Amino acid sequence: MLKLNQAGFVQPPQIQPLSGSIQPHQLVAIVGPNGAGKSTLLQMLSGFRAPEQGDVDFQGRPLAAWSSAELATQRALVSQQSAPVFDWSVMDLVSLGHAVPREVMLTILHWLDIAHLQQRGVQRLSGGERQRVMIARALGQLVTAPVTPCASSMLALSGLLLLDEPTSALDLGQQQRLMRCLRQLSQAQPLAVVCVLHDLNLAARYADQVWLLDQGQCLAMGSPAEVLDVERLSQIYHADLEWSHHADAPLLALKT
Amino acid sequence: MSAVIRFGPRLSLKGAPLWSLFIGLCLILAWAAYQGGIGLQALTNGSAPMDQVLTIWAALRLPRLLLGLMVGAMLAASGTAMQGLFRNPLADPTLLGMASGAGLAVAIWIVFFQGFVGDWGLYGQFGAGFLGALVVSLLVFTLGQGRASGDSLLTLLLAGLAITALASAGGGLLAFLANDEQLRQLSLWGMGSLTQSLWPPVVVGLVLMPVAAWGLWRRAGDLDLLQLGDLTAHGAGLDIPRLRRSVVLWSALGVGLCVALSGIIGFVGLLVPHALRLWLGPGHRLLLPASMLGGAALLVCADMLARSLAPPAELPVGVLTSLIGGPYFLWLLVRGQRHAQA
Repeated sequence: MLKLNQAGFVQPPQIQPLSGSIQPHQLVAIVGPNGAGKSTLLQMLSGFRAPEQGDVDFQGRPLAAWSSAELATQRALVSQQSAPVFDWSVMDLVSLGHAVPREVMLTILHWLDIAHLQQRGVQRLSGGERQRVMIARALGQLVTAPVTPCASSMLALSGLLLLDEPTSALDLGQQQRLMRCLRQLSQAQPLAVVCVLHDLNLAARYADQVWLLDQGQCLAMGSPAEVLDVERLSQIYHADLEWSHHADAPLLALKT
Repeated sequence: MSAVIRFGPRLSLKGAPLWSLFIGLCLILAWAAYQGGIGLQALTNGSAPMDQVLTIWAALRLPRLLLGLMVGAMLAASGTAMQGLFRNPLADPTLLGMASGAGLAVAIWIVFFQGFVGDWGLYGQFGAGFLGALVVSLLVFTLGQGRASGDSLLTLLLAGLAITALASAGGGLLAFLANDEQLRQLSLWGMGSLTQSLWPPVVVGLVLMPVAAWGLWRRAGDLDLLQLGDLTAHGAGLDIPRLRRSVVLWSALGVGLCVALSGIIGFVGLLVPHALRLWLGPGHRLLLPASMLGGAALLVCADMLARSLAPPAELPVGVLTSLIGGPYFLWLLVRGQRHAQA
């Protein structure tokens, strides 16, 4: 679906030439310390900034050859940002940028647990609720069929969803629900999800592939088990880390 | 199966606010056409012969009504578009210095160039207004780019303040250099009033303003998308540089025309979209035409007041709109501060 061929930025913030690919049905987590270049990389993947070297292909065509309107039907993005300045109602805001009927949008709002907020003004929402509203709008953009009221199981989505720190304002339960929802969607639909994540445990638990970035360089790319090596992470994050084994799943923890 | 009664392809309940604004505007227009010594009222009390009243009415009152209608609508449309573009409810052609820039350019035109071009002077005035507004909006826009929203508001307002101060100093200098006739023209025009309403400039406005308004209205959906933030809006398919170019250009044309026609009339562009947004929500497809109707109604109404508060003298309508708009702006600032503290 998306292919990077030695793509990077020479001007700061720099991204060292990077090659890799993202396939449908994949959930990719981009992780790394502050200032590693995660958001910059996401801008490159979305086509907001064209790479200064190498190239990025989307669906077999260079990203630069796509018109923004054409690209918007197959790629959606949620950046880290503050709330819209004006007081949109949730339903009006999630309906921006696509022609998906309200009934279908309501299904998506149900997935993200915000259907009860549909009439509320976005300025009266909490940070976490607002974050989910923005993700719902982006999902609406990727709906391909059907465009009539339907059961959620019949809703078809496809394309590439890029999310910059989607869980940063969510409580534990909502983080879990969102990541589960994204994982289920990417498994069931021809959808690829790329998330910039700070929580390495979320990346370990839900991602199919992890890209580890530090100082603009991609240090590792692969399955969570391959990439999230405790020694490497301790070095990059300048922190004392360890895997603590609880029940069946290991957890990355700070050493006391 | 539910049947929906439709009166036309686009007419539904969603248009109700627009229709109510439109009806309100018609009532105000009818009253403004009727009221006063040279209004149609003179026909009913028989104080003058009918043909005389109609001739005076068509030569003086009608162009003035049309001018108020156009300038009010255009200032409100530019204000709405600027607020959408800057994602800031306090953006306004006057506060951002666009009107002052246009005003200075028009004054420069009157003092230095108008004498050389004879009858074409009027059209040069429009051109100068457009160029002045365009230069200032590009300048302000460049200054406000790439900053966090709080900083950007401060920068924008300070830039507007600096440009207004500069333009006012320039205006003072021009008044010093101008001859008697130019001085008279400058002072009549500069106060912001609809008294200079002659048919030829009004006709130019009637041709060009709908073009500027159409240019802005075409971008209404894009302005909505822009509210998602630059990056997300780009992700939703918005060509942001193109939107910016187009909104800046059409607003500058609109504001430049308004200033060339009637001087600087402040706060219409701030007041109207802000008040209507509270009622209709922030979607520009509805807000932009509603603001045009509201702006037209406000200015025609304010002009009617300016004419009738102290007859036979007339207050400049710009003074009146500033008297309403200034306190409203201060209230907005105080309220914004309270929100920030909460």
